Amino acid sequence: MTVGSDVKQCFVSLKGVEASLSSLALRTLDDDSKRSLHETMMVVHEVVTDLKKRVGELEQEEFQYKGF
Amino acid sequence: MVPEWLDIAVRSIFFVVVLFFITKWLGKKQISELSFFEYVTGISIGSIGAEVAMGLERNIFHGIIGIVIFAAIPFLSGLLSLKSKKFRDFVEGTGTVFIKDGKIMEDNLKKERYTTDELLELLRKKDVYQVSDVEFAVLEATGDLSVMLKKENQPLTAKDLNLTVASIKEPQTVIMDGVIMDEPLATIGRSRAWLHTELEKLGVTVENVFLGQVNSYGELTVDLFDDQLQVASPQERPLILSTMKKCQADLELFALGTESKEAKQMYSKNSEKLQEAIDKVMPILKG
Repeated sequence: MTVGSDVKQCFVSLKGVEASLSSLALRTLDDDSKRSLHETMMVVHEVVTDLKKRVGELEQEEFQYKGF
Repeated sequence: MVPEWLDIAVRSIFFVVVLFFITKWLGKKQISELSFFEYVTGISIGSIGAEVAMGLERNIFHGIIGIVIFAAIPFLSGLLSLKSKKFRDFVEGTGTVFIKDGKIMEDNLKKERYTTDELLELLRKKDVYQVSDVEFAVLEATGDLSVMLKKENQPLTAKDLNLTVASIKEPQTVIMDGVIMDEPLATIGRSRAWLHTELEKLGVTVENVFLGQVNSYGELTVDLFDDQLQVASPQERPLILSTMKKCQADLELFALGTESKEAKQMYSKNSEKLQEAIDKVMPILKG
């Protein structure tokens, strides 16, 4: 295992969270909760974007584990 | 000539129907809270109905006239009460303050002819056993005692604790006795197909469900006819929360582990961001 794969795993989990939050926001009936969930989804999305960039950098450094 | 028993039967059925519609017309107020006007008319209408049903020598239409007048007057007074506060106070009565600033108003108690025992009884009905816990209490015109406890004796609320709680909408009952209710389902914008999918996820069929409700988050909870069967409770929200927490911890770890200054900064910034996001949705995901 390398740092790269750990980061990748975190990245994938967060992407899953983003999708779950989005679907939960769609299903929620209460408007306030809906908005909070949606805003949280956006924040998670920003984190995911940053992580994706980092995953790319790590792949450059550990190119033998490339596969993303 | 009609036999007497048949006459009584016809009259009784007729008056049950008349009384039913009269009560319907007078509305819910007549049966829920009896103000003294409603109390009087309620008794009179009943008596007239019974009297005419049994008293064969009486004219049936005289009875109906009596009932209609007794029903019309409270109806009209109800309309007038809506318009005028003075009239309302006169007809329906006003509340009498029994306890004010934590002190019993003995004069008001006497005025309403309530004994101390009766006051204590009314308080006990409101789960109050110690008069000193009460800040304010008023005897309503309907005879109920409304009690406001002193602030320190009032139940603790989320506001008192400065807790943020997620606001929710009322749950909808979508399955009753194994039958799908279409109207509540439409209210939350779901289809029968969706419901069947959710039931499949739980591994049960519609016929086995005694009661099924959908909460504010679109999660289906069911009670089955067979109480031996265990049904899974919705796990999605706690799962999202725990994944978010895990990722936040991971990001902190990465920040400590990396040697690149730039990456360190990026990790710690994002871990803080994620922590804020977790704090924000915690009340929603926890519940």
